[in-house]
Amino acid sequence: MPTDEVLLEVKDLHKYFGDLEVLKGISTEVRRGEVVAVVGLSGCGKSTFLRCINQLEVPTSGEIIFEGTNTLDGSIDITKLRERIGMVFQSFNLFPNMSVKKNIMLAPVKLKVMTEEEASVKAEELLKRVGLADKADEYPMKLSGGQQQRVAIARALAMNPDIMLFDEPTSALDPMMVGEVLNIIKELAESGMTMIVVTHEMGFAREVADRVMLFHNGVVVEDCTPEKFFNENDNPQVKEFLSHLI
Amino acid sequence: MAYLEETGVIKDIFAYYGDIGYDPEIPGYFSAHPEALAAIQVIDHYSPETEDSGDDQNFFEWLWSEIVKNFVEKDRYQLIIMGLQNTVFITIIGLALGLLIGIISAIIRSYHDMRNKFKILNAIVRVYITVIRGTPILVQLLIIYFIVFASSGLNSIVIAGIAFGINSGAYVAEIVRAGINAVPKGQLEAAESLGMTFNMAMVTVIMPQAVRNILPALCNEGISLLKETSIAGYIGIVDVTKAAMLIRSQTYSAFVPLIGVALIYLIIVLFLQYLVGKLEKRLNNAYR
Ligand SMILES: Nc1ncnc2c1ncn2[C@@H]1O[C@H](COP(=O)(O)OP(=O)(O)OP(=O)(O)O)[C@@H](O)[C@H]1O
Ligand SMILES: [Mg+2]
Repeated sequence: MPTDEVLLEVKDLHKYFGDLEVLKGISTEVRRGEVVAVVGLSGCGKSTFLRCINQLEVPTSGEIIFEGTNTLDGSIDITKLRERIGMVFQSFNLFPNMSVKKNIMLAPVKLKVMTEEEASVKAEELLKRVGLADKADEYPMKLSGGQQQRVAIARALAMNPDIMLFDEPTSALDPMMVGEVLNIIKELAESGMTMIVVTHEMGFAREVADRVMLFHNGVVVEDCTPEKFFNENDNPQVKEFLSHLI
Repeated sequence: MAYLEETGVIKDIFAYYGDIGYDPEIPGYFSAHPEALAAIQVIDHYSPETEDSGDDQNFFEWLWSEIVKNFVEKDRYQLIIMGLQNTVFITIIGLALGLLIGIISAIIRSYHDMRNKFKILNAIVRVYITVIRGTPILVQLLIIYFIVFASSGLNSIVIAGIAFGINSGAYVAEIVRAGINAVPKGQLEAAESLGMTFNMAMVTVIMPQAVRNILPALCNEGISLLKETSIAGYIGIVDVTKAAMLIRSQTYSAFVPLIGVALIYLIIVLFLQYLVGKLEKRLNNAYR
């Protein structure tokens, strides 16, 4: 249920690693409430695209306009930008030296967005939402991969971001655990969260996304609704991509 | 020493080394004047001595008589105790200074590697680490004693502590840096993606994890340092090794003083290693 408000606008984004051009002019818009699935073969630049949005990678050129401000003009505070952009990684990246609850509370408390008490209430509420209310005091290493990823989602949500970036959130999981994580992401989408999801789960893209973007060698070669993408697409690159899937 | 006492020479020796109120009754008096004591031990060696060694001894009788001769007679064990104090003292100064230098160096290097900051400082640190790790510690000690602090008037034990600290700092720096590097890159990214600054992420996320990697290696560095201080004798310090050598030069027997001092090192090292082992177990059990 995307609105008309443009939340994120990317214009002619280029990214080089040394001499290697990984993004070759990406342009797109993401509306508030929209769910965008990003698909493509390994190495085509999907992760790099996501990481440019919150500047874990510094784009080489182009514009990224988030909530009306150009985030690449050098004058903005990148940490403030990142507070509004949640990110979930393939490898969870929970902090192993803190309990689950402390993982969720750390950023809001350290960044003085919430008091200790507010963050604690928020953490418990989020843990309930991802179905892990009973794991608050557990250490991450004690949890299964699926549980860890759900905590990672809760941790990103604790900062009340305006957009969530998911980089293959289920690729490191046992097949048994993929469903529980996708369900949380789907619920989040239904609650109106704007999100960009890099995924290899075509079922998920078809069912949850409002739009599917296909990357190929650093360019967007298709950007359309899932219906069009999966059913009636005569773009040879889409056919080629879909034929790579089992 | 009785001979020197009788003749009053001992007073002159202490006066020569800057203490005119010779009083052996003051606790710790001898160890407070290591240079004087060393001199006395050397001179003492030339003083008249009566010795009778039987010919039909078995090994244990021989060993016992050697122990008595080397450690008990003329209170020679005091020399060992004083040497041990100096060894421990040098080790502690060296370790404290080494930690300070090493941690600062490692932070400079990590900031450079991860954030491209401190370019010049990083270059200096790299030269320091290369030089220290590329030259023998004995040569470093001699340079620092005879060149750097040649006319400083500093106590030689303090100079040795500084020399060992400068040496140890290079190794500590590499240990700490390796510990920081061993924390997965995703940890910093996760912290930064939440809006935390680099410094905040280092303090709350990276360092607490790095410490777990670092602590056992750091303890082992301390143990190596303790053993390395055995070269302090080269700059006139009576450490425990030098003490054994002084006894040897007085008694003309090498076996008991040297094996004895080796055992002293071994016992201390084994004890410290036992503690490190316990620490490692505790660290491995954390968060699990
Ligand atoms: N830090 C980096 N330095 C150099 N090259 C990089 C770096 N990060 C990514 N690359 C290269 O950029 C290209 C795109 O990488 P990216 O991780 O964005 O691909 P991807 O589409 O996410 O692939 P995957 O599905 O395997 O995750 C790859 O060729 C990769 O080797
Ligand atoms: Mg990727």
